[in-house]
Amino acid sequence: MGKATVIPFGPQHPVLPEPLHLDLVVEDERVIEAIPQIGFIHRGLEKLVETRDIHQFIYVAERICGICSFGHSLGYAETIEDLMGVEVPKRAQFIRVILHELSRMHSHLLWMGLAADAFGFESLFMHCWRLRERVLDIFEATTGGRVILSAVCIGGVNRDIDDVMMKAIVDKIESIESEYKEITDTFLKDSSVKSRLVGVGHITQQEAEALCMVGPFGRASNVAYDARMLGRGAYGDLEGFEPILSDEGDCYARCKVRALEVNQSIAIIKELAAKMPHDGIGEKSKLTPAAGAQASSVLEQPRGECYYYARGNGSKNLDRMRMRTPTSQNLAGMVKALEGCDLADVPMIILTIDPCISCSER
Amino acid sequence: MALHTSFETIEIADLVALAERKRDEGYRFVQMLCVNTEQGIDALYSFMKGDRLENYTIAGIDTATQSVPSVTGVFLAAFPFENEAHDLFGLNVTDIAIDFAGKFYKVAMDTPMTVISPAQKAAREKAAKIAAAKAAKAAGKDASADDLEAKLAGMDPEKAAKVRAAMEAKAAREKAESARAKQAELEEKLAGMDPEKAAKVRAAMEAKAAREAAQEKGGE
Amino acid sequence: MGSFKLGKMTLRSLFKKPETIMYPAQTRYQPEGLKGHILNDIDTCILCGICEKRCPTGAIKVAKKDGTWQIDRFRCVQCGTCVRECPKDSLSMNPNYPAPAPKKSVEVVQKPEPSAEEIAAAQAKEAEKAERIKAALAAKAAREAAASEAQ
Repeated sequence: MGKATVIPFGPQHPVLPEPLHLDLVVEDERVIEAIPQIGFIHRGLEKLVETRDIHQFIYVAERICGICSFGHSLGYAETIEDLMGVEVPKRAQFIRVILHELSRMHSHLLWMGLAADAFGFESLFMHCWRLRERVLDIFEATTGGRVILSAVCIGGVNRDIDDVMMKAIVDKIESIESEYKEITDTFLKDSSVKSRLVGVGHITQQEAEALCMVGPFGRASNVAYDARMLGRGAYGDLEGFEPILSDEGDCYARCKVRALEVNQSIAIIKELAAKMPHDGIGEKSKLTPAAGAQASSVLEQPRGECYYYARGNGSKNLDRMRMRTPTSQNLAGMVKALEGCDLADVPMIILTIDPCISCSER
Repeated sequence: MALHTSFETIEIADLVALAERKRDEGYRFVQMLCVNTEQGIDALYSFMKGDRLENYTIAGIDTATQSVPSVTGVFLAAFPFENEAHDLFGLNVTDIAIDFAGKFYKVAMDTPMTVISPAQKAAREKAAKIAAAKAAKAAGKDASADDLEAKLAGMDPEKAAKVRAAMEAKAAREKAESARAKQAELEEKLAGMDPEKAAKVRAAMEAKAAREAAQEKGGE
Repeated sequence: MGSFKLGKMTLRSLFKKPETIMYPAQTRYQPEGLKGHILNDIDTCILCGICEKRCPTGAIKVAKKDGTWQIDRFRCVQCGTCVRECPKDSLSMNPNYPAPAPKKSVEVVQKPEPSAEEIAAAQAKEAEKAERIKAALAAKAAREAAASEAQ
């Protein structure tokens, strides 16, 4: 046993897209403790709710994160609709869920590319991002934006997707599907990928439950929770929804869960596109939240469950808006997964929780 | 399966016991947040099991004198939130498992979320005014009249009479003023209409005024 | 030792057209409704200032007195709120992205001075209004006279 050394990791590191700092206490090549540190990019977006009215804050909410931007605007709008008791037409709910599932596809494809890059598989990274580009093209054609969609308003959606466009979306997704299968095959069966992922950063189901892990990170350790099960919005109109689980609990399982979730998203989009109702897309609500009224809700984002809380003060502005993002919930699990791993596996384990630091700092 | 949310209020002393009970019942820690209110900091803890999302609020914590025990002993996942509450709201949380002692967020000032922005101040004042107006309305006009009477009773009779007369004069003046304003407004509107329609409206208004006057007489 | 799973896709890519385009020479296809930049048709604009109030970033400034409408393209986030809120539909979203610039600047649109015909039209309208008021007053006087006679 060697002497314990502290190795700083991040905030600038090739594998990290965002600033996360870790103090790794290592003995020889083995990490015995990891202390995370965030807070380099706190922007005070939650404070901004006091000077932007409830309709303007949608655009702030979707800028919390560049990848789950649609999820944040959707979760925010749903919470405010709860707060004021606004009914959203079914068609608007369907469009919201379709866009949300598309953004899950793009987020997972992005993550898979980053993971491939982290274990040194450059061409796989390129292919993942090539497919992701197709999803972004769908966004561009349906909402006019590639990443920041500005598609949701409180009470509905801003722009309808007509039947011709819906058919084009389904066609495009089908063209992605066959190519995507080759990519998942590589991820799940290629020996070089497996040798980097299998057995790395293992977390048991008991540990995962005790650490309250959410999202694909938790589901890879067999935690049967996915906020989509709650059937909010158009998720309630699905034939059935079963979260994708894996009981291995290592980096490979996390990869597998995300890879299969893209297939699930494709199935959800196809199903909803087939039974799209025609009752209008809703319009901007004219209500204001009552003083002291509070509402909370959860939404399954690509990275996991996100919690929203809003408190009104009787004016157009809110007293408090809170977004608890999946990454801050998963930090404890990440620390646990890092304990006892090899130094060379640290980047891989950090990536498999899909950390989004700007989400968790807001 | 649909989401059921509930909000309850608890005391600081019950917090850790509540967290332990929730853990034993198989609940999951969801998050902890703070709200900066006029009465102090509200700390809100959320737990979830299945489709039940339960929020427990500790209202009005005075950060200068009170502190909150940490729940990280029960749910380790709470450490980012408790450090955040300390850094952004100045809430004292004791015994956090991974305590950053105020260095979790690198922000330019201490407790930035407790600053009350001018916009928020204005909104709060407006809300308070509306609430006060509502309360006054609920209490009824009798209360205000009684209030005046009570005040008058305390004065010497001569002065009281004067005040009463002044109040009556004021009321009459206000009434006349509002009537005049209404009339002026009406004239303005009528000027824009075509003459035939204007004449009709005028007739209707006059009839209404007559009716009101009759009612007043009847009332007296 | 498993086979190289990505082989087929890699080989296919060898003989395919590249996914990327030669950017400045070629530009991408612009779908309908692409969020590029905001344009204001100043002739239909009534300078009501609703866009200024609704803008989440405060990029738009309207000065009714000077007859100007101005937008800071470097603040604008292309959310499209102003386009949806405009009561006269004078604002529109143009699919071309704003050009990059070495310096930040504000774009000002000046409402043109009304032409002689427009002034004449406005005056005619005023005159008509005055006529109507006169007629209304006359009618009132007549009615009052009639009422006093009746009493």
